[in-house]
Amino acid sequence: MPAAQPSVFASVAFLKIHDFGRRPVVEQTRLRAQLEAAVAVTLHALAEPSRVVLDAADGVALVVFGDPRGALRIAERALSAGAAGLPLAIGITHGAVRQTGEGAGEGLLGDGIAVAAAIAELAGPQKLLLTREFRAALADAAPGAEAAVAGAGTHTDASLRSHELYRPDAFAARRRARRYAAATVLAALCLVGSGAGYRAAIEGPRAYAGRVAADLKGAAAKAQERALRLLQQTGR
Amino acid sequence: MAKKRKENQIGRYRILGELGRGAMGVVYRAEDPSLDRVVALKTISLANADEDRKSYEKRFLLEAKAAGKLTHPNIVTIFDYGEEEDLAYMAMELLEGADLRTRMRQGEIAPLEAVEIALQVADGLGFAHETGVVHRDIKPGNIMLLERGAVKIMDFGIARMRHADHKTSTGMVLGTPRYMSPEQIAGQPVDQRSDIFSLGTVLYEMLTRTMLFAGDDVNQIAHNLANAEPVPPSRSNPAIPQIVDFITARALKKDPAVRYQDAYEMAADLRDALAEMRGRAPAPRNGDAEATHTMKLEPGAHKPPLAPAASAIARDTRLPLSRLFDSEAALERLAVPKHSARLARAPRQVGLLRRILRDRPVRRLCAVALVAALLGSWIAIG
Repeated sequence: MPAAQPSVFASVAFLKIHDFGRRPVVEQTRLRAQLEAAVAVTLHALAEPSRVVLDAADGVALVVFGDPRGALRIAERALSAGAAGLPLAIGITHGAVRQTGEGAGEGLLGDGIAVAAAIAELAGPQKLLLTREFRAALADAAPGAEAAVAGAGTHTDASLRSHELYRPDAFAARRRARRYAAATVLAALCLVGSGAGYRAAIEGPRAYAGRVAADLKGAAAKAQERALRLLQQTGR
Repeated sequence: MAKKRKENQIGRYRILGELGRGAMGVVYRAEDPSLDRVVALKTISLANADEDRKSYEKRFLLEAKAAGKLTHPNIVTIFDYGEEEDLAYMAMELLEGADLRTRMRQGEIAPLEAVEIALQVADGLGFAHETGVVHRDIKPGNIMLLERGAVKIMDFGIARMRHADHKTSTGMVLGTPRYMSPEQIAGQPVDQRSDIFSLGTVLYEMLTRTMLFAGDDVNQIAHNLANAEPVPPSRSNPAIPQIVDFITARALKKDPAVRYQDAYEMAADLRDALAEMRGRAPAPRNGDAEATHTMKLEPGAHKPPLAPAASAIARDTRLPLSRLFDSEAALERLAVPKHSARLARAPRQVGLLRRILRDRPVRRLCAVALVAALLGSWIAIG
C-alpha cells in the first residue's frame, strides 16, 4: 500500500464505553465483549465497502463513507443496545480521515477521528452527540434529514476546541413537517386572498362580493343541473 | 576504612565471593558464622554522600528496617542490617536463579509465564504496600526468578536512595526512569500506585519485548511517559487475551486515581487472566504470528498501531483497524482513485433549488404556493 493515501471525508461515530478506565478489568472485559456484539449486530445495516471499524482502548470508532444517515442509524441502534446494560457515549462527526500504516499497523488517522473521540468524551452515558459538520453532511446527503437533530449547545473539549453540538430528536422532523404544513396553508390562503383582494379593490368590495356571490350561485345551479341529469341517466 | 575492617569481612559476615557489582555498591556471597548460613550481602558505599550523609544513612536505615519487616514468599528476606565505616550493608537470603532482565535477554517469555511472574510480583507488592513499604524501583533487574517458577522482589529500601541520586541527574541515560511512574519521574510524592505502574511496564515488556517508555535521556522518557499511549500487547501477539490488555492498560494509567489502587486488586485480575489463559488452548504459532512479532522488534520498522482511549486521541488521531471486523472491502474501495476522489469532497451547503427538489416539506410548500399563486393571479386578472 502506498505510504501517502489521499484523505477523504467520512462520518465517524465513536462508540465509547462510559467511564471504561475506572471499571474493574472483569467488567471491562464483559463490556468490551458486549460492545463488540452490539457492533456486530448493527453493522449488518451497512454495506461492507462503506464502513471501517477501528479499535480504541475504550470503545470502537465506526468510519462510514458516503452515508451519513447510515452512520447515524448505526449509532442510534448501538445506543439502544445500552438498554442491555452497555453504557455507551457516542460522538459523531464528519471529517477528514486518511489510511495509514500497513500490516498490523494498518488503520486510519485524521481530524474526524479526533473530533468524534472528543465529542464522545463530552457525551454522557446513553447520550449521542453530533457536530455541526455532521449535520451539514446529513443535509448534503439528504436535504431535510438534518431536521431530525436539535441543537445541544456549544461545548469546549479537553483540547479547548469548541464544538457546536446537536442531538437526535425523534420529534424534531415531525415538528418541522407540521410547521411547513401550516406555512403551506398560510401561503396558499395569502396568495389566493391577495388575488381576491386585488380584484375587490378594482371593482369595489360590494360589486365584487355581489359578482362572486352571483358566480357562485350560477356555479351551484349548474352543478345542481348536472347532478340531476346524471341521476336521470343513471335511473334509465 | 580498610584499616579498621578485617579483610574479607564486613560486620560479622565473612565474604566468600562477589555476586555482582552495580552503580551503588557490590553484592557479595557471604557467610554468617553465627548461624552458619550463606547469605547475599549487599553493600552500598556512603563515601560519596558527605553533604547529607546523616539523612542518607537515616533513610537507608529506615528503609532497611521497613524491608526487614517483610516476610513473604515473593519478597527476598532481609536478615540483618549494619554499617561499618563508609559502608552500609544488608544481609539477605541468597537466591539461586536469574533476574528477570537476564531472562528477558535470553529469549521470549510466553504470555502465560509473563502473567504468572507479574502475579507473583503483584502479590509481593500487595504485602509490602500493606506493611507500608513502597518499593519505588520495580524493574526486571529487581525481580528474581527462582527454580520451579517462584519469583521474588529484591532491593526494597535501596530504591529510595537511588531516587535521591536520580534527582541530581541532569538528563543522563539512566536505566530506572524507564520503569518509573509519571508522578515519580516528575519528582512528586509517590505511593503504592507508582509501584503498580512500574509493574505494568515490566509486564508490558515481558509480553511485547519492547521498552514502553524508552528514551535517550530522562527528559525524553518523561515526555514519553506523559504522552505515549501504550499499544495493547495483544496487537503484537494475538495469543494474549484481551483481559491482559485491560490489565496493562489499567496499571499504566497516567493518572494514579484511575490506576489500580492496590496491588492485590491487580493480582486478582492477573489471576483471572491466568485462569482464562490456562483454560484455553494455546494459540497456533503460525508464520503470520511470528512475522508480526518479528516486525515489532525490528528497529526502524513501522510503528505499531495505537489504540488510545478517547481522551488521548486528540493528541494522536491514529486508530488501528479492528481485528474482529473485516474492513478490507472499504479500504479497497478507498484505494480506487475514482471513489476516493468522490469521497474527498467536503459536504456542500444545500442550495435553494436542491432544497426545493429534494426536501419534501419544502417541495410541498413550493408546489402549493405555486398553485395558489396561479389561482390568485387568475382571480386578480378576473
